[in-house]
Amino acid sequence: MRALGWVYLSAVFLFIFAPIAASFIFSFNSDRFPTLPLGSFTTDWYMRAFSRPEVWQAIANSLIVAGVTAVVSTFIGFATAYTDFRYGFRFKTAYLALALLPPTLPLVIMGLAMLAWLSQLGISGTLTGIVIAHVVLATPFAMAICRLRLSQMDPALEAAAWNLGSSQWGAMRHVILPFCAPAIVSALCLTAAVSFDEFIVAWFVSGLNRTVPVMILEILQGNVDPQINAIGTVVFVTSMTLVVAAQFLIFRKRQDD
Amino acid sequence: MTDPLVQFRAVHKSFGSYVAVKSLDLDIQRGEFLALMGPSGCGKTTTLRMLAGLEAPTSGTISIGGRVMNNVPPHQRDTPMVWQSLALFPFLSVVENVEFGLRMRGIAAAERRERAMMWLGRMDLQGFETRRIDQLSGGQRQRVALARSLVTEPEMLLLDEPLSALDAHLVIRMQGVLTRLQKDLGITFVYVTHSQSEAFAMADRVVIMGHGAIEQIGRPQEIFRGPKTRFVAEFVGRNNILAGPVKAGVMTTAQGPVPVLSGDGPMEIVVAADRVTLSRDRPAGAAIRAAFLSEEFAGTGIICYFETPDGAEWKAQVTETQLAELHPESGQDFWLSWDPARVHVMG
Repeated sequence: MRALGWVYLSAVFLFIFAPIAASFIFSFNSDRFPTLPLGSFTTDWYMRAFSRPEVWQAIANSLIVAGVTAVVSTFIGFATAYTDFRYGFRFKTAYLALALLPPTLPLVIMGLAMLAWLSQLGISGTLTGIVIAHVVLATPFAMAICRLRLSQMDPALEAAAWNLGSSQWGAMRHVILPFCAPAIVSALCLTAAVSFDEFIVAWFVSGLNRTVPVMILEILQGNVDPQINAIGTVVFVTSMTLVVAAQFLIFRKRQDD
Repeated sequence: MTDPLVQFRAVHKSFGSYVAVKSLDLDIQRGEFLALMGPSGCGKTTTLRMLAGLEAPTSGTISIGGRVMNNVPPHQRDTPMVWQSLALFPFLSVVENVEFGLRMRGIAAAERRERAMMWLGRMDLQGFETRRIDQLSGGQRQRVALARSLVTEPEMLLLDEPLSALDAHLVIRMQGVLTRLQKDLGITFVYVTHSQSEAFAMADRVVIMGHGAIEQIGRPQEIFRGPKTRFVAEFVGRNNILAGPVKAGVMTTAQGPVPVLSGDGPMEIVVAADRVTLSRDRPAGAAIRAAFLSEEFAGTGIICYFETPDGAEWKAQVTETQLAELHPESGQDFWLSWDPARVHVMG
């Protein structure tokens, strides 16, 4: 049974990671088309891909959007989670449902709605527009992480800070934020990853300011080129680093409870 | 007597339609160890939280040191509390926890470290200052919590069931630590508990609360031997209660006529379990008949439970030798007698 379990687990991981691994392997393969047997090892596709200025521009766009999205959505997510933790009020269930709603919407619908809305505001096609759309998508994740952390906090901790002479802001700064620090860093990583990866909504609203996933599609539409594998590998490594960092922080924080 | 440190005057607190505390009048003296005791939901914790400013009274006034404190936020009071959960900060080291109150008061780093170290020494925690909270035992955490609350040298310390999470043997030791500390410092301790052994062992005065109101205030002995109300008699100690009209030295009760020494008209008397004598044959004097139910070992003796014909529960405390001689069986009838001079008349 145990051996069977391992086979099953390996099969699942193989199924998930085989395409990514293939992309990774072919990014170093000298052949023009992804066929077996492999040709020789080369970093040529990386060289070519990263010598294109539009690739660098897209990476810069993606990094800016991911960074700003991470900061803004983590701030909003933390504030939402803290409101839930601290206050009881009417329609709180509705408030929470609304706050967690965006990821349940089909991305195409979200993309279309964002396009229509951002055009009305005249910021469609700008980085600001992409950031706004990504903040909407990423905030619920940040909120969920912060909420989980706050639920592990002894409610007496905040009152204890007041009791020892902290004002409300003092308790926030000296108790709530330090307690939530692992969750906040984790939320920053995860929301950055959500934004860095996100394609559909970005495709609708990005216009000429393409992010990396949008640019990949555009290259792909032209022709199948192993440069895509190279760029894809870089994107994958970046996102995985962020997600693993987030996971690590969520896991590690358990120890100090 | 000097001015009391704390005065509650007609204090009322409700949460929505739920009344937690009603028309509370209470003076707390400087330097006394006061225990607020009662079953859960009696309002004792709400009373303590109002004193700390964590809840505002719905009406009435609370003054500390002669100043009305109703609307003073918690951080502007000097009423540190030891929490039931201890509420130590898990992301700070032991010494940083102790320093917290001084840091919030803007005291310079060097001085606050020195004062925190002094308190850690006093609490027998030297050498633990850089530890994390989760590296300490229950008793050590307790002492960190005490040091953290006392480092600002307050006039009054609030304690909210601080020993409820400890093992029995640690509870006894911490009781000793707390009483000695309170006498040494000479400050006021307000101690909330549902445990009468804790309250009676430590407090100078005990306040018994029930359903949001004070039932009785007194020294432990007074309350233990002289409960004023049925609520207190039932909550405190192992008491048996008899009620009925008294005429010509005889009280007519549901358990039959019982001689009493004095009184006239409706009366309630308390017969403490340790003052009840068991016998198989009817003795002379005050006695009732009841069927044996079960026994319970209670450390100092054995508590035997009985049921009277009308369904009331009676308790009698006996020694192990007495129990062996009687070897009662379930359902067996006994006579429970007592000296009428050693009953307590309520009211």
